[in-house]
Amino acid sequence: MEQWIEFAKGPLFAFTFLIMILGLARHFIIQFYSIFISKGKQLKNVSWRKIFSDMFSWVVPVKHLIKGTRIFSTVSFIFHVAAILVSVFFIDHIVLWQNYLGIDLPSIGRALADILTLVVIGCILVLIACRIFVRRQREMRRKSDYVLLIMVLLPFLFGFLAGHPAINPFPWNTAMLIHILSGEALFVVIPFTKLSHIVLYFFDRLSVVHWQLKPGAGDKVAKALFGEEAKV
Amino acid sequence: MLNKARTLKDILWFFVFFGLVAGIFRLWFGLGATTNLTDSVPWGLWKVLNMIAGVALSTCGFTIGFLVYVLRVEKFKPLIKPAIFVAFLGYGSSCFALLFDIGLPYRFWHPLFMWNEHSFLFEVFWCVMLYFSVTFIELMPNILEKYKLKKTVGFLHKITIGVVIIGISLSTLHHSSLGSLFLITPYRLFPLWYSSLLPVYFFTSAAGCGIMFLIFVKILYSKLYNPVSVFGEQTNGKVPVVCSLNRNDGNTATKEYGKDMPMLSSLSIVGASLLAIYLILKIYDLFRLNLFNTLLIGTWESWIYILELLLTAVLPLVLVIIKKSRRSPYGLGTATFSASLGLALNRLDVGIIGYFRDAGSAYFPSLTEWALGIGVIAAAALVFLFVAENFSIFDEQWKVYKINKGIFKASFDTINRVWQAALHSGLQRTTIIGVFVLPIAFVLMYPQYKSDKGIYVVPASGLNTIRSILIINANTPGMSTEFPHLKHQETLGKEQSCIECHHISLPDDKSTPCSRCHRKMFEKTLIFNHEMHKGWVAADRQIPGLQPENKTCAICHLPGLPKDINSAVGCMECHKEDIHVANTLNLPKQFLYADSYFYVMHKRCIGCHQERKQGVNKPNLDQCSNCHQSYYTQYETKKELYGSLASD
Repeated sequence: MEQWIEFAKGPLFAFTFLIMILGLARHFIIQFYSIFISKGKQLKNVSWRKIFSDMFSWVVPVKHLIKGTRIFSTVSFIFHVAAILVSVFFIDHIVLWQNYLGIDLPSIGRALADILTLVVIGCILVLIACRIFVRRQREMRRKSDYVLLIMVLLPFLFGFLAGHPAINPFPWNTAMLIHILSGEALFVVIPFTKLSHIVLYFFDRLSVVHWQLKPGAGDKVAKALFGEEAKV
Repeated sequence: MLNKARTLKDILWFFVFFGLVAGIFRLWFGLGATTNLTDSVPWGLWKVLNMIAGVALSTCGFTIGFLVYVLRVEKFKPLIKPAIFVAFLGYGSSCFALLFDIGLPYRFWHPLFMWNEHSFLFEVFWCVMLYFSVTFIELMPNILEKYKLKKTVGFLHKITIGVVIIGISLSTLHHSSLGSLFLITPYRLFPLWYSSLLPVYFFTSAAGCGIMFLIFVKILYSKLYNPVSVFGEQTNGKVPVVCSLNRNDGNTATKEYGKDMPMLSSLSIVGASLLAIYLILKIYDLFRLNLFNTLLIGTWESWIYILELLLTAVLPLVLVIIKKSRRSPYGLGTATFSASLGLALNRLDVGIIGYFRDAGSAYFPSLTEWALGIGVIAAAALVFLFVAENFSIFDEQWKVYKINKGIFKASFDTINRVWQAALHSGLQRTTIIGVFVLPIAFVLMYPQYKSDKGIYVVPASGLNTIRSILIINANTPGMSTEFPHLKHQETLGKEQSCIECHHISLPDDKSTPCSRCHRKMFEKTLIFNHEMHKGWVAADRQIPGLQPENKTCAICHLPGLPKDINSAVGCMECHKEDIHVANTLNLPKQFLYADSYFYVMHKRCIGCHQERKQGVNKPNLDQCSNCHQSYYTQYETKKELYGSLASD
């Protein structure tokens, strides 16, 4: 079993992590390139300052916390903060950063990491419940929403179990292997699914680029996406 | 038509990305870690395939230049631009591949200033460098035409004839010199390939096959972009019939091939006649050196030689001589492809394969070598396609082939949309190939992920039951050492002295053999079994519960720290009673890795012998010959032998 863990921590990790990094970098480059192209055309009068402030102003969704989808926004905001904190700054992961890339990062304590992991797991359960029970979300749900949420849940759940062997019903090796493999599966799907909002969030929905389209641009997009015949 | 070019480009990008990773790894980790080159076969794929064969296939620049500018054969004028461009790409990619093959790539400029005029490679370097510049000067007008630089273009056109003549002389020089390089290996190279005529062979075969390669490139280009010019008007997807006797009466439905075919077939006659000279010389050499025994003896070298000769000269000659196949693009394509393949095989034979028998070992290039070698060729092909699409190299058709380069947003949606978007434009398509290929290439070629190929040590064997004499490392013939075990025991102090050499024993053992832990000859061995320790500790401490192994972490690893070697307790904390350890050695807290057998045996023996040589009054106690007696005795007997011969 430990050979499998070593394989998952070595070549497989490098493979999947590189796919994620390159896939996201690809999105980033293509998006920036397209902004540069539009800067010469429809965005001529918009300053770079405006473009960047538009990109980042929505990162903290204060407006939505005050009114609108209050529970969903709050929960998903907490979920994002906690998930990033735990997955990057957890002390055992910092050892990995150090070993693989030689980066020294500060760590959050073990106790805080435990609490945040439980918060993440709770938030995911709430988000799944929202998808099922809130009418507005139920109507725009897709199968991939559930699949992706469960894929995100798995590494946190099994990471927590592996970190607390005393309450772990599985052997440590099994929990660790599932933790690593599910995390790597997540790496692979990130650039190709909705999860690519890690990068595209700043470009796709909120960028000023999309609010300043030329007339008839919708048809062009449809033509590009669905071929000649389709109409918006 | 364009779909074919796009698919071809995708494949080429695949190889380019693979080669990119290979190139980075070669620069990062060095030649030893990434290639399979050895001291006995020091010239590998990059040098022979990319450099020698690549340069040989790009001779079309000077042969066509000679035909058009010197002999004034105006018929071949349309081919001069492609010929120069192919030569430029061939030489450029060869030099680029060579950068990775020389030990210190940043010293590639040394031959410019540090002259070694006795070396053929010195001449080859200068000629290749100068000829590369010549092709560049010849090529520039074609590129600059697009950008309205009339003065520069006019000047370049004026100097063309002089430049072409310089190019012809340089090419003649270095192609024969590349053959002369191998003249220094009369005893190493297999006799079928070694000949004093090697320079002539290299020159004639390169000139002939270079012309054939250009025809092949032209046919390939037409297949992708402009089938009408070579393949003719195609109807109903059927292959048009050529060369019927009643071609001229308009009633029959026969069709001719394209307008370029007559030019190509007459050029193929020029190439084939050069190849005929090559073939005649080769056969003459077989008579001259009386090599028919070697040729027909049936070794694999002789079969490769026959195959090579068939591909390079015989098959192209036959196909060109037959009128029907010469005039069809398919027959001509086969002939030219076979000639190019045969030439590459010939250079591989002379550069690599011919040395296997002398070296006593075969060399097969590693994945990194294949990846970089093919990657450079693929990159050259991509440059070729780019220039063919954007500049007037082959014909004026390039304006038609402008592909719609629309850019649109990457989809923020399900996997299908991403693929739709990815397959549409060139940038999206290429980058998505990179996203998948780069990680695969990284994992496959990263030296540390390679499978464990360490040489395992054969345990020392005792000649009798009390192991009075041990034969150490009997796995290399002639290199074994007789170790007087009993004598060491007696000299060092009987039972108490065991621990001086058996410095750590396995639990409940007192004299674990060296090779039990130092298992590999030149590499470290992991001797700590983490997985089993969990079970052992759980059983030892009698821990209750559903998964008792899960509760053993905190017994060895300090709480609150990452669970790695730094937070683990030392081995001797638990193994106080059952593991015997020598106090004299500086052992780490945890016994995780055992050093290589080679290293530890020399370190332990020589160290001890150096200390004791004064005490026992044996000044040679720490010399190599003291232990490696086989060498010593061999040397002594030889000395006696030679001494007696000398006295006689």
